[in-house]
Amino acid sequence: MAATNVVSARRPPRSSSRAKRRSRTFYLFITPWLLGLIFLTLIPFIFGFVISLTNYDGINLPTVKFVGLDNYIRAFSDQYVSFSIGRTLVWTAFNLPIWLGLSFLLALILNQDVKGRDFFRTLYYLPSVVPAVAAVTVWKILLDKNNGFLNGVISLFQPGTAVGWLTTYALQGMTAIAVWSGLGGGMVIFLAGLQNIPDELVEAAKIDGAGSWQIFQYITLPLMTPIIFFQLIMGLIGSFQQLVYPLLLATVTGQYVSVPPRSIYLYMIHTYQQIFANQRYGYGTALLWLLTIGVTALTLIVFWSQKFWVYSGDIPETEGSS
Amino acid sequence: MSQKKISRRELLKLSGTVISGAILASCTPASTPTAAPTEPPAATAAPTVAPGATAAPTVAPTSAPPPKAVEGNVVVMAQRNELSEDQEAQFEAENPGITIELVEQSTERFFAMLAAGAQLDLYRTQAPIVPSLLARKLLYDLTPYFEASELIKIDDLADANKGYWAESALEVGSGKIYGMVKDFSPDHTVWVNDAKFEEAGITPVDDTTPMTYEQWHDLANQVAKFEGDRIATWGFGYSNGWIDRIWMDRLAETGKSLYKDGFTKIDFGDDTKALANYFYTVAKERLCESPVDASPNGWAGGDFAAGILATMQYGYWFGGMCETDANRGKVRMLPAPTWSGVHQDPTVTATGFVMMSGTQVPDAAWKVFEWYMGGQPSIDRAGSGWGVPALKSQWSLMPNTTPFHQQVQKVLAGELAVSNVKLQYNPFLGEGSFYNAWNTHLNEALTGTITFDELCSLTEKDVNTLISEGISRMS
Repeated sequence: MAATNVVSARRPPRSSSRAKRRSRTFYLFITPWLLGLIFLTLIPFIFGFVISLTNYDGINLPTVKFVGLDNYIRAFSDQYVSFSIGRTLVWTAFNLPIWLGLSFLLALILNQDVKGRDFFRTLYYLPSVVPAVAAVTVWKILLDKNNGFLNGVISLFQPGTAVGWLTTYALQGMTAIAVWSGLGGGMVIFLAGLQNIPDELVEAAKIDGAGSWQIFQYITLPLMTPIIFFQLIMGLIGSFQQLVYPLLLATVTGQYVSVPPRSIYLYMIHTYQQIFANQRYGYGTALLWLLTIGVTALTLIVFWSQKFWVYSGDIPETEGSS
Repeated sequence: MSQKKISRRELLKLSGTVISGAILASCTPASTPTAAPTEPPAATAAPTVAPGATAAPTVAPTSAPPPKAVEGNVVVMAQRNELSEDQEAQFEAENPGITIELVEQSTERFFAMLAAGAQLDLYRTQAPIVPSLLARKLLYDLTPYFEASELIKIDDLADANKGYWAESALEVGSGKIYGMVKDFSPDHTVWVNDAKFEEAGITPVDDTTPMTYEQWHDLANQVAKFEGDRIATWGFGYSNGWIDRIWMDRLAETGKSLYKDGFTKIDFGDDTKALANYFYTVAKERLCESPVDASPNGWAGGDFAAGILATMQYGYWFGGMCETDANRGKVRMLPAPTWSGVHQDPTVTATGFVMMSGTQVPDAAWKVFEWYMGGQPSIDRAGSGWGVPALKSQWSLMPNTTPFHQQVQKVLAGELAVSNVKLQYNPFLGEGSFYNAWNTHLNEALTGTITFDELCSLTEKDVNTLISEGISRMS
């Protein structure tokens, strides 16, 4: 027995070398991602925070000064920060429900076993793969106030029509573009969720006499709440970070300047102007950090709320149940 | 004797550390961009001379060592359509040992390269930016090179080049030479599409007498065409990105300045307000592109080329692209309008090149600079019609054979005679700052959120804040 113990102590067990191989493979696989995380996320984050504590303007490295939290304090007294936050909230409140609702509806329709379903799925997804610049360029041609196709068509019936779809109604115009572009991507995610709903549940409900609406209300919707929750989080983050569309829809542009219509003067546009038009790199990165904190807080609130409306798979106990 | 083997985990950790260290080391700035001297370093080689010319006398003592071959990789930030690969290859073939590395122009990349201490030798910029770069000690004094050059004679430099001459950031127009224009235009001439005037039943404007800005406004009102709310023909076009430069030139007609107190504040007095009111009015009357009436073609120049804009204030360079099938045979250039009755028309862009003070290859960079500015590329540019040559001796190369070019040259001659106006730009403001402030508040004013007076006061406040921040950053 003692000899056996000595022999076992000298020779490593086979499971230990397998564990080492697994851990080597693990590190090998995650190293690229880890390096990317460190150099493309963490280091820029930290560097950005350091910049936000200075008066850096992009080229004043020899004379840059530490200003402490002045840039953060300034954000709270900058009237355009509060204005742009307001516009961003309005944009989110306008765009997000429309995008969520329409893409979910589209997924529900295209989850039916109908002829041409695959063709329509592809068709609705195509706008998602069109680059934003190309998409906005085309939409600007369609919606231009004075020379746009849409106003041209309306002018056939009401001559001289010049509706500012991208100026007076810039919020609505931008929403149309964003929803058109994002519908396909949202639809695909919802479709994946719908296809995970067990057929047996639906069949059992039908056998019990449930109609379509009841099936949707009591089976589909609850089981889709985790997907809706995910889409809501991603949509919220995307809405608050929205920069590309208002930048491309700016009516006044220059090498470093972008002045979009007032209704789409979003928070990220104000940040962009501070950094590139006004060369306030320090203040601009402080605004970005404040955005990060705000969006994180909002995300945590939504996460906290999920216990009230997101189906987790646990069947709640009722009175009298064993 | 047993040797300790390195485990796989330890090997991976070690590799990761080594790789990270190597990457971090490569990211470390080679040198921090300090306040590098604007004087060239003590020359160990005589400045470049043109091929075939006799060596220019240097200021070195007679016992100076013989010049050694100029070598180096010269990094140039420019636009590819202005410096082709063929031109690069031609230069490199004629100058073995010197290579050109072109970096596509981008302000963000420029800032990033400066911050990282990356090599950047020649930078494409405009004269209004020179004071700002000079205040940050980013420019190399090229005076000795110019003085010794056989290809570029200082006497041959057009007055527009003086935007790159400076005693200091606040004394531009004379002194040391920090760069040169690649070509230029008197920038306030007005291009007209006579077809639009004919449609409106208006006699084409005389091109021998400058009109006033008020006359231009009236003309724009007459020629603009509306179909209901739709603008069918735009009456007035100007480069709103240069709004501060336009105001500076207008105020300079009577010796006034846009700035006061040593450029520490904007002077938004009655004269400046009158200018602001003019441009606010043309936007409010929907005669020009504005934050509420976007240009259908992305910019007013595109609208003119498309034949939907009747008048456009741009310089001679616009002649390189303004005549298209939509307006062929109907385009003319008019003298710059006057604001106070004084006819003057300086360049307010003067696009050219400077050498960065941190360059490690000044001699090689100068060879590239001299070749591009005074060699074959400059001759090619002169004949293209895209700008007035920087060298007066090349002015005869400008196109002058077609009726269009002949009309343009006739007007241009008069504009060049009144283009030597010294405009001192503010070294404490970033390039797009004024334009951004004005248009942000113009947007509010045109939508009725603020009044015109508030437009002026808010613009004044924003610009003054930016100036004081700029001063603080440079001190």
